[in-house]
This record gives sequence, C-alpha cells and structure tokens, in this order.
Amino acid sequence: MIKNQKKNLIRLAVQICFFALIILVSLNQWRSEQGLAPLLIGSPSLHAVCPFGGVVTIYTYFTEGAFIQKIHQSSFTLMWLIFSLTLLLGPVFCGWVCPFGTVEEFIGKIGRKIFKKRYNNFIPSVIDKPLRYLRYIILMLVVVNTAISGKLLFSNFDPYFALFKIWSSEVTRLSLLVLGLTLIGSLFVERPWCKYLCPYGALLGIFNFFRIVKLKRNEKICINCKKCDRVCPMNIDISTSKTVTDHQCISCLLCTDEIACPVSNSLSFSLLERKNPTENSENDSGAKIRESISGGGK
Amino acid sequence: MKIKSIHILLAIIIIIGGGILLASELDLYNTTRVKSPRKTAEGIYDVIDMRGSHTLEEIEKYYQLSASSVIEAFGLRPDTNPNLFQLKDMKEIFTPVELEEGEYIVETDTVKVFTSLYLKIPYVSDETFNLPEKTVNYLIENDKLTGEEKEYWQGHTFKLEYLDSKYLTASEFSKIVVEEAEGLIVTGRTTIQELLDYGITEEKFEEVTGFKIPDKKLVSFRDFIIDKGLEFGEVKDKFAE
Repeated sequence: MIKNQKKNLIRLAVQICFFALIILVSLNQWRSEQGLAPLLIGSPSLHAVCPFGGVVTIYTYFTEGAFIQKIHQSSFTLMWLIFSLTLLLGPVFCGWVCPFGTVEEFIGKIGRKIFKKRYNNFIPSVIDKPLRYLRYIILMLVVVNTAISGKLLFSNFDPYFALFKIWSSEVTRLSLLVLGLTLIGSLFVERPWCKYLCPYGALLGIFNFFRIVKLKRNEKICINCKKCDRVCPMNIDISTSKTVTDHQCISCLLCTDEIACPVSNSLSFSLLERKNPTENSENDSGAKIRESISGGGK
Repeated sequence: MKIKSIHILLAIIIIIGGGILLASELDLYNTTRVKSPRKTAEGIYDVIDMRGSHTLEEIEKYYQLSASSVIEAFGLRPDTNPNLFQLKDMKEIFTPVELEEGEYIVETDTVKVFTSLYLKIPYVSDETFNLPEKTVNYLIENDKLTGEEKEYWQGHTFKLEYLDSKYLTASEFSKIVVEEAEGLIVTGRTTIQELLDYGITEEKFEEVTGFKIPDKKLVSFRDFIIDKGLEFGEVKDKFAE
C-alpha cells in the first residue's frame, strides 16, 4: 500500500510542476501587461507554450511557411516534442503534463468523495461511447477552419485559455461557459473535456494504436478482479483486452501493477514483447491470488 | 522491459526539457512571434493577416500603405507616431458604434477593409459591413472606389466619435501619440541592433544592463531586459541619460 502511494506521487509531482509552470506563465503575462518584470522565466504567452498551437498552424506552415496569428515557433517545436513522447509512451501529455487535465482531475477527487462508486459512471454506455468520437469532429473542424481563416478560432471556446487567462478581456464568454460546464462536469465525470471534447487529446489518442511502449495484460495470470477497469479515469475496458490500444488511454499508469493491479506482471507498460516468465511457473502469483480469493477450495 | 512511473518522468525530462534546451540552442524555440504577415499566392502580404499589434509603420512597410493615409482616413491626430501606434490602439480612441448587426468597434478589421479597398487587395470581412464616413470620403477623394463600391460604401457609413472629446485638441495625448523627439527613443520594439546602429557602444550597453551584448541582436531590447529579470522602464531611462 505504501509502495503504491509513493509511486502515485511521481505523477502527482509532475502534474503539480506543470500546473505551477502555467500559473507562472499566466502571472508573468499579467505582470508584463502591468509593466512589471516577469518572475523566474520570461513572459511567453499561453499560446506559446501550448503544443496544440503547432497542430492548428501546421497547414499554414507547410503551405505558406508562416504561423497563424498568436502562434509562435515554440508551439511548433513543442508539438514535435510531444509527438515524439506520445509515439514512445502514448498520450503521457494528457495524463501527466496538461494542466487543464490536472485541474479536471483535482476537481474529480471532490466528485469521487461525494458520489463514491457512482462517480464517473453517470453516463450510460450507449450515450457515452459515441460521444467519445465527438472530439475527432472538433479536431477536424478546428484544423480545417483555422487553415481557411488563418485565425486561432479555437481560443474562442478553449477552456484552458479561459482558465489560465481569466483576468484578460481576450477570454470570450463562450470559453468561460465551456470552462464552467467542464469544471462542474468534472464533479460527475472524470476528465469530461478530455473524454468528449479535447481536439488535442483526440489527436494524441490516435498514437495509442501504434505507440512503442504498450500497455499489456497477461491473460494467463490475470485474476479478473477488474480493479484496472474501476481505476481507469477514462472508463476503458482494460480487463478484457490483451493489449490496450483504446484511443482514450492517457498513459496515467493507474491501472498497472505498479499501482492498482494486484498481480505482479499482469498488467504493465512494456517496451519489448515479454515471454510471460511466470505463466508456466508453479509459483504463479496469479494462481496464488486466485487461490486466496477462492479460499483455495477449488 | 517494464516501464514504470520513474521512466516516464525521465522521458518527460529528457524529451520535453532536453528538447526545449536543444531547440533553444538551435534558435527553434522562439516564444515571440514573427511580425511579418503571411503572403498570398501572388507574393503580396495578405490583408487577412494584418494584426492588431502591427504599427502604422509596419503597415507601411509590409503593405506599402502610408501611415499618413491611415492617419488621415481615420481622423487620427497628425502627430500620431507611426512607430508606436498599433492598430488595436484605435479601440482606445474611438467610441464603439451601435449598428444593425450590433456593437461595432473601429479597430484592426476596419483597417483591413480600408487597406483592401485602397490597395485593391481582395479581402472579404465577416464583421465590417460599414465604414466611418470620414474613411469612405477619403477613399472617394483619392479615387480608390469603383462605381459599385462607391454606391455600397456611401450607403454604409457611420460617424466616428472620439472616446475623449479632447483627443484632437489636447496638446499631448497619451503615450500612443508621441511626437518624434530628438535623440534616442527606446520603445518596446527597439531591437538591440537598432541600439548599436544608433551608436550605443558595447561598454555602454554592459554598463547600463550589466550584461554583454547577446549574439542574437535582432531580438527586442525589451524582451532581452525582461528575460534578465530587469525593469525595462528603468533601464531604458538610463540610456536616455
């Protein structure tokens, strides 16, 4: 138990660091506008440190060699760095880095305390599943319309921008509404923006189909306790998959044997194919746990 | 090989942190934008990419539309400094007008439409369907409108009103209208190269800022100073001294 808490702290620490960094960027923007010197780092805009800016300007960049308004070279560079990270480990950006996802997750903790097991299970599967593809429609709309208009249209309803630049007149009413609904929604559903609406999450989610480090379940030693399903913030059906390639996985590692899965080597992130060293062993840990669960009477 | 949280932490540090450091070294991580607007297929600067942060001087540079034309067409003060006045500053000068489509603010898009008509560069606005009467008259006087355009715009005008009634008459009007002073004026857009061109020596630069002249001399002096954690206002005053 202690071991698991310790390892959870690594992700939490990363999330807090990036959240604090964005708060500092936002604060420095405000200070800069007030004519004050920025603290610790310069005063880049929020758009300059958002890799999604690189995605929306990609068409303009390759056709005209220029970035769209408000987008900087840093966004473009960050986009490639995040693509590299995602190709290797899946959407780590969503689960570990994105400060807006972190805010949703923190609010979700309150929701979990209020609603207990009902939390994150309010939306019936028949509605939830198709809704998960909505973010791809948004991704297409944002990229196409940005290419046509040459303007950063997404910022008009971007809750990330609204949250971290809430003091600015640049924030639209629509984005404040989206922000409000997302924050309220986070009390009922874990990461609602990430699940249903985030265009960047949609794009990174595609990498789950071919990422190098894969999330694998060893069917032979899995005890089907379904703990992985229960802890998954994105409600992925992990316990029935051999290799998790769901487009919604955010590589948070919560389901793995490092944190939730009680059977060692049953569910883990693996770089290379493993030979399941324990599956033929008489000391099979899964078998041991199965025995303990069934009382050994079977 | 089993990947754990610690490996992901390392990957984040190496790929994101290391990537940013490497990109910075290669000058591929600029957090400030390139000022030049994008070009059309014909090779001219696209009116659609005209920005609120562009100064009148930059408009003149990129679009060959003289600052004096904009000043006259929009009824700005004749002493408006083209090097300092940004298109978005207009919203601090003109009163928003109530039109059929709702409240309209004279700002960047108004100048885009004006530029498009004046220079015959195609631009279809989705927000400007009316122009200030003064602007339309200026276009007509300079014979910039076709018969059809003239007919349309004469029927779609509004009267420009200043937020401050003393805008035109006051002897001085805020920092956005600064008469050219003699000597060096260090603004937020002054580059380090411009300081050197003016005759600031390396010793003087180091004495005032406490730092050596960087290799990248085309960065704005203000950004350089802020990056070093100094107060821009204080440092630029030292140059003036």
